[in-house]
Amino acid sequence: MPNSRRLSNAASRRHLLLPYVLVAPAVAVLLALSIYPLIYSITVSLQVGDAWSIGNFTRLASDNFFLTAMAHTFVFAVAALSCEFLLGLGLALLLNSQIRGRGFFRATLLVPMMLPPVVAAIVWRLLLNPNFGAINGTLKEIGINTEALTWTASPSLAMMSVIAVDVWQWTPFVFLVLLAGLQAIPQEPYEAALIDGSSRWQTFWHVTLPLLKPAILIVLLLRTMDLLRVFDQIFILTEGGPGFATETISLYIYRSAFRFFDFGYAAAMSFVLLALTNVISVVYIRLLRNESRA
Amino acid sequence: MRLTRSLTALLLLVITVGCNKDPQPARKELTIAAISGVEGEALKQAAVDYETQTGVHITVTEFPYANLFEKELIDLNARTGAYDLIMLDDPWFPTFATKQLLTELTPLLQKRGQNGPDTDFIDASIAVCRHPYQSGSLYALPYVGNSQLFFYRKDLFEKHSLKAPATWEDVLTAAKTIQEKESGSGMYGYVMRAAQGNAAVADFMPIFWAFGGEMFDASGKPTVNTPEGIAALEFMVQMGKYSPPGYASFNADEVGAHLLQGTAAMSINWPAWIGKFDDPSKSKVIGKIEFTTLPGARKPGQAEIGNWLIAIPRTSRNAETAMDFLVWATTAEQMRRSALRGNPPTRKSLFRDPELVAKYPAYPAQMRSLETSRPRPRTPQWNEIENAFGIFLSKANSGALTPAEAMNQANAELEKIVQRGQ
Repeated sequence: MPNSRRLSNAASRRHLLLPYVLVAPAVAVLLALSIYPLIYSITVSLQVGDAWSIGNFTRLASDNFFLTAMAHTFVFAVAALSCEFLLGLGLALLLNSQIRGRGFFRATLLVPMMLPPVVAAIVWRLLLNPNFGAINGTLKEIGINTEALTWTASPSLAMMSVIAVDVWQWTPFVFLVLLAGLQAIPQEPYEAALIDGSSRWQTFWHVTLPLLKPAILIVLLLRTMDLLRVFDQIFILTEGGPGFATETISLYIYRSAFRFFDFGYAAAMSFVLLALTNVISVVYIRLLRNESRA
Repeated sequence: MRLTRSLTALLLLVITVGCNKDPQPARKELTIAAISGVEGEALKQAAVDYETQTGVHITVTEFPYANLFEKELIDLNARTGAYDLIMLDDPWFPTFATKQLLTELTPLLQKRGQNGPDTDFIDASIAVCRHPYQSGSLYALPYVGNSQLFFYRKDLFEKHSLKAPATWEDVLTAAKTIQEKESGSGMYGYVMRAAQGNAAVADFMPIFWAFGGEMFDASGKPTVNTPEGIAALEFMVQMGKYSPPGYASFNADEVGAHLLQGTAAMSINWPAWIGKFDDPSKSKVIGKIEFTTLPGARKPGQAEIGNWLIAIPRTSRNAETAMDFLVWATTAEQMRRSALRGNPPTRKSLFRDPELVAKYPAYPAQMRSLETSRPRPRTPQWNEIENAFGIFLSKANSGALTPAEAMNQANAELEKIVQRGQ
């Protein structure tokens, strides 16, 4: 029966091939849209003019604009993350308890998050306008001197303003994830704590927080990654100004690539940002993994 | 096996279909990259008229100012040949010309029996279309003849018997007087835009030049921190005291809003705003604003030129048709229609056209301003230089640095940029 064996051989070979055929489109798309551009941007970052060189990377160390933009990025990320986390956690705890109108609050709290960042930023730019904006207008009405409150225009207030807008927009997201985390915590540990006579603070510290830790780490990880690459809000609110006061690394990368047409340098900066984001993410993920093992 | 083979066949099919460009013989078609807004609008109308006259179909692709430069440069660099004509803001021109991305126009003009561009064009406008500046070959034609003007409230000047601002000293005196005497009505003596980048640099250059500053010396070395340069920035910061709070982040919109609301008495601005002052739905200052040339100091006042040019990319497959449209769109007759839509012309005859002057009384001042205007330094690195310089100007205006510190640091940054370009 050589004939039938050959047939079954062919059939089994086809069987072996099938998985490859099925993943081929995905692989092709990935190659075209991710792998190829990645390799291309690596080669671009390693070229100055038309020659191979690590000049783009060595230039980073002596570029004041780059170093300052990096510092701004971290100030922005740390400040916004802390505010968003504390506010989000507070709101989640509050709306997890049985208070009146909880459904209404939960729904309205999500509105900022649903606006496209560009739209939110434009609205805030109008609100924060020192001369015609609603915020200074209201303050003036209640008798506060707004002469010095030039929100996005003063070097000391501009960073605070862009942080505040980010907190306004993204606290709801932190709130949402933490609320989901809280609702997934079973009742039993609380009952046990109650029987043991622990105070509300002790319950929070020893029961709620440890059980909420996976949700906390996930939301911190997502927010950190987002904050480090912040672009749209700042671009619209201040364009990095006044002067250089709110220029973050993504704005500087954008400028280098599309305004100065220096793709090599922009790619080099992107890789540095990528490396830093990766390091931070790995730390979070380690913490998360330890948590799930414990 | 068969599966792989059929898959390969499919892939090949996809590739061939994807690459196959219009199999029919090429119909005459042009694609233009234009700025969205009133300048591009006029060109769009011209394209429609041209199509009805000649049958050449023209597609106008519009981009906002912030994207136009990158779209054009990426496209021309990648040699896709997507555009047959591109609109360029004149400071971008050296980048495109240095990279040899544009078609030289003189041979195309000669084919049409012309030796060079029409002598009716303002010299300063043609000069920015040549590479190198003024003396080199022609790579574009000027379409919109913007140059800065000095705006002031003539009613307030008369009320406080101030003389028309001919020097920056006059401007300072007037700003002081008006702000002191009109302080009850929330009036500011002056309004400027000092947001980093283009805005701060545009509002500073006329002061800088008038005070005798030069951005580069003859050998191309940056020289912004000379005593003249520092004095100019000190003067700008001093004018800031009479500018509304927050001006260190102002762009054109905020400046325009203050003028329209009647809360500022003077500013440097572009002609595009002139028409808005007569619009009763927006303006509280109808008929109250006078337009003149830039004030001087040690040197006569000079405005920054900001013309919109049209060029033909080297990759255009229809260069001759493109040239035909370009010449046609910049004829006096067509440019007149563009002028009636609000775009300042680049032709002397139109600035003197009685009907246009009746409609736009600022034309004589605009023509004087344009003829004596100065381009921003002609370098392919202008975007980077303007960005760095603007950051330090904005820092000085927001009080983060003293003028001397700002100019010294700016000079050091500019040196780095220039060095990298060599």
